[in-house]
Formats: sequence, structure tokens, C-alpha cells
Amino acid sequence: SLPLRGVRVTSANIFCTDQYLKVERPPFLFEAVLFAPIDDANSTAKIGNGIIFFTLYKKEVAMWDSLTLAIADKEKLQYLRENAVLKAHERAKEETEAKKVTEKEHKKYALEATMRLEEAERRRIEDLKEKEQQKVTKELELWQKQQKDAEKQKRVQKERELHQKVEQLKETKKDKNNKTRIPNEGTSKARIKPTKGHGSCSMFSEEEQLPAPRSAATIKISFTPRVFPTALRESRIAEEEEWLCKQAEARRTSNADLSELEDLKEEEKNPDWLKDKGNKMFATGNYLAAVNAYNLAVRLNNKLPLLYLNRAACHLKLRNLHKAIEDSSKALELLTPPVPANENARVKAYVRRGTAFCQLELYVEGLQDYEAALKIDPKNKTIEKDAEKIRHLIQGTMQDS
Amino acid sequence: SGSGLERPQLVTYVQQALSYTLFDCKWLPRSARLLCLGSSARGTGLLQLYELQGGRLALLREIEKAKPIKCGTFGATSLQQRYLATGDFGGNLNIWNLEAPEIPVYSVKGHKEIINSIDGVGGLGIGEGAPEIVTGSRDGTVKVWDPRQKDTPVANMEPVQGENKRDCWTVAFGNAYNQDERVVCAGYDNGDIKLFDLKNMSLRWETNIKNGVCSVEFDRKDVYMNKLVATSLEGKFHVFNMRTQHPTKGFASVSEKVQKSTIWQVRHLPQNRDIFMTSGGAGSLHLWKYEYPAQRLKKDSEEAEMGLVGSVSLLQNVTLSTQPISSLDWSPDKKGLCVCGAFDQTVRVLIVTKLNKV
Repeated sequence: SLPLRGVRVTSANIFCTDQYLKVERPPFLFEAVLFAPIDDANSTAKIGNGIIFFTLYKKEVAMWDSLTLAIADKEKLQYLRENAVLKAHERAKEETEAKKVTEKEHKKYALEATMRLEEAERRRIEDLKEKEQQKVTKELELWQKQQKDAEKQKRVQKERELHQKVEQLKETKKDKNNKTRIPNEGTSKARIKPTKGHGSCSMFSEEEQLPAPRSAATIKISFTPRVFPTALRESRIAEEEEWLCKQAEARRTSNADLSELEDLKEEEKNPDWLKDKGNKMFATGNYLAAVNAYNLAVRLNNKLPLLYLNRAACHLKLRNLHKAIEDSSKALELLTPPVPANENARVKAYVRRGTAFCQLELYVEGLQDYEAALKIDPKNKTIEKDAEKIRHLIQGTMQDS
Repeated sequence: SGSGLERPQLVTYVQQALSYTLFDCKWLPRSARLLCLGSSARGTGLLQLYELQGGRLALLREIEKAKPIKCGTFGATSLQQRYLATGDFGGNLNIWNLEAPEIPVYSVKGHKEIINSIDGVGGLGIGEGAPEIVTGSRDGTVKVWDPRQKDTPVANMEPVQGENKRDCWTVAFGNAYNQDERVVCAGYDNGDIKLFDLKNMSLRWETNIKNGVCSVEFDRKDVYMNKLVATSLEGKFHVFNMRTQHPTKGFASVSEKVQKSTIWQVRHLPQNRDIFMTSGGAGSLHLWKYEYPAQRLKKDSEEAEMGLVGSVSLLQNVTLSTQPISSLDWSPDKKGLCVCGAFDQTVRVLIVTKLNKV
């Protein structure tokens, strides 16, 4: 036992390995190198009543000459101290590792347990579903059988009715001279709809009860206005409005210098008329004249995308490739926002610009435009084929270089 | 609520791959047979009659016609005859006797373009009044036909002269609770819904739901009109309370949004008019239940009656395919049995369980 001189000591101040014991509480220090190794794991220290009571269990049962070894050699003492500290560290490490291992095992066990539980639950639900399926199948088969029986019955009944009708006809023929016989009510056929009147043929009696076809009439209607031929989608309304506004604005624009155009005829001041003229001349192969028409139209109104689009086609034919690219680009700029209504125009613009790029041997740019066109119109086989061709060309040139 | 297993389950009973595009499927009334209508790869019309036989669909008959068939109905035929009325891609309305399908019982080139939708009323022992068929077409008109009158429709709802036509995508009969009353509801691709009164030959109500209208159906054709469900593009559907029409605001409605894809069809359960199923562009089916509000109408500030609408709750849903389920039909004879057709060329027969507990 170690008397404490009025200081409080906790377990943190006690350090013990298998051959070294230290109690450190500044300014006091107690240090003992033990005679022989002890089992430090099982040894205890009881703190209380002003003393520490150490219970140390010897590793080997033997009598010790003394409790401690007196070591005069400072170096040896130092070495012993360090050794002790190292040993303690190692022990601590081992303990934490052992703890980790057990923790892992526990976790694994817990995981497996939960998995098993979930598996059981899943199986239970599947079983229930299976049972449900089987029950339902049985019910259906029963019902199917009922239907078949009902059909059979109906067929038998139909035959019976037919037979009766034939019999009746025979009888009425016999009674031609006599008054017409009222057919026997007792043989009336079973009907799903109860009939009020009676007649000799079920077809006629049903018709008798039905109202006549109504007299034909027409109701004229009008629709909530919609400019686009496509169906209305709420999410596209904003875009479509924007496009319509742009178009409306474009029509109103007129940015030509009036003095220059005074000597033009009235119709020649109308961009739409000029566009039509241009289209006609393109159709007859007169590309230069078409370009002139479009040029004039653009001077009057530079916000109509179709003018640039069509002029690009002319430039392609005239092999003015840079101008074709310029005009297609301008057309695409004006064809925003992209809506289903301007899809066709956008596809044409991409294809024309792509063609121009390819003719300038700028195949990568050309392919980009073809792919953009394909994105809008994925079902177009011509564009697909051309895009493939360009891809092959690019791969070919890459292999050569 | 309760646990998930207490809710109705949508169980696939049998499915069959077809070698053609399926546009419509219908149960043959009073039987375990169903019809598939569509378009073959060659561009001809196909009718196939199947029967449920022990866990599979057995093909009983295959009938080929000149034009692809878009839609069909048994609504206007008697239970004894069970004639099928079809609308095809050429705008022809035909009525077929399936036992002798070579020549139609009735035929008319009713429209200039494809007949998108067809409905029938007055047959099958349901309701009263003359049997009538209504067709809605891409030519923008809705026409009502009586099988006893050849060549001309008994009612024609067409755009005024000079009006740009819109595609009519769906039609439905309703309000046929006595011999005289009848309405037709039509939905168009520009979001218009129009209600035509056939007794007065007038337009009774119209509205616009901001998305193309794919399918309309009354919860029951043969009662005083109660509820109407309209489905549309972009995943929305609306339930209208048709009992009270306000002079300016029309019919009250509640709407639900289900995913982003088109809701192709709505069909009410024949045995319970407050349960209906919607089919979607993402290959899914949703089963819904409508709850009525505490009060169905109230008076507004000018003492006019205004309808109040309840709420819709989702009972169950299932995804069966990656392609749209474009057609759906409940069996009128077996509660919970339904057939649906999808654009993956598959017809599926489903059973919805636990409908009695809903």
C-alpha cells in the first residue's frame, strides 16, 4: 500500500506493466521496478482513505527476495521505463484491434440477421401474392365454366325457339282459311328485357318498343383558337406564344429606305410576294434571279427566317458556300424558340448548312449539323444515310493522316 | 389505409404477344371472350377473337379487313346479337356480326379521316331509348348514327363554315336515363371538351383543359349524369361533377397529375361507378377511388347553384410495359377482370383483387 500525501489520485495517474509500476501525480512520483513479472491484467489498485492499495498477482508462484529491484544504473532504468511504455502501447493496440474484430463480427451477425428477417418477410409477401393469384385463377376458371354453360344453354334454347317457329309457321299455313291464330303465349321465349307487347317474332317486338331514329340535325361548333396544327400541351404554351409574337413582330417590321424603293411596284414592296417569286424562280432553276428576289425581300423585312432559308438553298446551288452557311445560320437564329411549328424549317436549315460545310470539306462541322437535323427528325432516312456517309469520310481521312 | 396488402392488387393473369399493332380491346359481353382490334404490318385491319382457357388466351377467330381498325364498341347492340361496331382508319363505320363477318350488317363512310373514337348506347340491356353509335374523327366532326338509318347520321356536330378544324380524339355517351335524354361528350386535341345535348340538339357546355383531351367517360351512361372524367396529355386528368351546372362557371372539377406522360384511357368499373382506372404513356395503370364531398352543391353570391367536387385517391398502381397502354376495358360480367392493350404489341388480362373491400 502506498500512502497518499493528501493528493487525489485517479486511475489515469497509475501506470503498470508486467514489471514496472508507476504512480505519477505531480509533484509526487512513485516508481517501482518489480522483482519478477506480475500478471498486470488481473492486478488491481484500490484508491481510497488516503492510500492506494495494490494487489499484485505474481506470474510465477515464488517467493520474492524483495518487492522491487534496486537498479542503480540510470540507463537501465530509463531503458526499463521506455520498455514498459512500449509494452503498454502494444497492449493497448492489441486491445483496440481485438475490439475492432469483435465489433466487425457483431455487425456481420446483425446484418445477417436483418437479411434473414427481410428475406422471410419478402417470402411471406410473395406467398400471399401467390395464394391470391391462385385463388383468383380458380375463381376465373369457375366463372369461365359458368359462361360456357350459359352459352350452351342459350344455344339449346335458340334451337328450341327455331323449332317452335317452324312449327308455328306450319300451323298458320294450316289455318290460312280460318281466322289468324294468336300464337301461344305459353311458348314465349325468355328475354333479358321484359317485353310489354307480344308478337310472333322477337326481332319485331323489340323494334316496336324502341323510339324511332331521331330526326337528323346538325350542331355547329367553333373551337378554342389554336394556330398550330399540333395538339395543345400546357408545358409548351409559353414557347409557342413567344414564337407567335416573334412572327407577328417580324411581319410588321419594315426597315427599308423608302426613297430607294419609290420606283418599285406595289407588289414588289411585299416581302411575301417577293418570297413567292423567289421560290418560283428557284423551281425553274433561275437561281440568280431568285437570290435577287430574296435580297430585296430581306431589305424590306430582315426578320423573316424563311427568306434566309430559301436564299441559302440558292447559294448552295450557285456554290456560294460561305454565303449559304451565313444565311442558314441567320435563319436558325430567327427560328427560336424551337417549337413543333418551325421544325421543318429548322431541319432544312441544318441540312443546308451541313451540306455547305461538307462541300468546303469541313466534315466535322457538317456532321454536327446533320446530327442536329436528325435530332429534330429522327425518322428521316435520307439525313441518316448522309450522316453515315460523312462519318465514313471523316474516319477515312483520319486513317490516312 | 392499412398495410399495403390490404389494398386492391393488380394481378396479371395472362398476357399474349401479338404480331400486329393493337389499337383497341373489348370484352364480348356475357362471355369469357375478348376482341383485339388493330392494324397488321401490311396495313390491313385485323379483328381477333380470343377466349380465356385455363390460364391462356386461345385464338378462336381471325378476321382481316381492308383498312386498319382503330376502335370498337358493343354499346349499341342487343345481348342476343352482340354485333360489334368499329371505326377504321378510312373513316368508315361498320357493324359486324362476328358469326358471319364477311359482310357488315351496317356500313357507312361516315368521315373524311380516321375515326379516332367510338361509343355506343341503348344496347346490352342497359338504359333506355334507341340504340345509337357516336364517332369522333380527325376531320373535326362528331356524328351520331342509328343502325336502323342508312347513310346519314342522326346528329352531326361539325365546325362552322371557314373554321379551322381540330382533331376529335374521344367521344362518350351519357345521361341516357330515359328514352328521350342523351348527351354526347367530345374531347379534342386543342384541349376543348364539348357537351352536346341530343334531345335539344344544342351545345350544352364547353370548356378547355389546356392539354389535348385523350379520353372522356361518364361514370355511367344510363343514369342522370353524375361524374365525367377527362384525361389529357402531360399526365393530367379532371373529374367533373355533372350534377350541377353553374350558368357561367359550368361544372366543378378536381384534377390530378400522374407522372408526366399522356394518360391514354379512363375506364370506370362497371360494378362500382366511383372506381376507375387510368392507363398511361409510360406503360402504367393507376386505380383510383372518388370520394364525394360532404355537400355536392352550394349557392354562390348571386344565389346560383354551384357544384362542389370531392377528391380522388390512388388505390394502386402497376407498371406493365415500357410502351403506352392505349386501350383498356373492364369485363361487365366479372368484377375486377379487365383487359388492356399496349403498343408493345401485347394484350394483357388483369384481375384487380379486393375491390369488395374498397
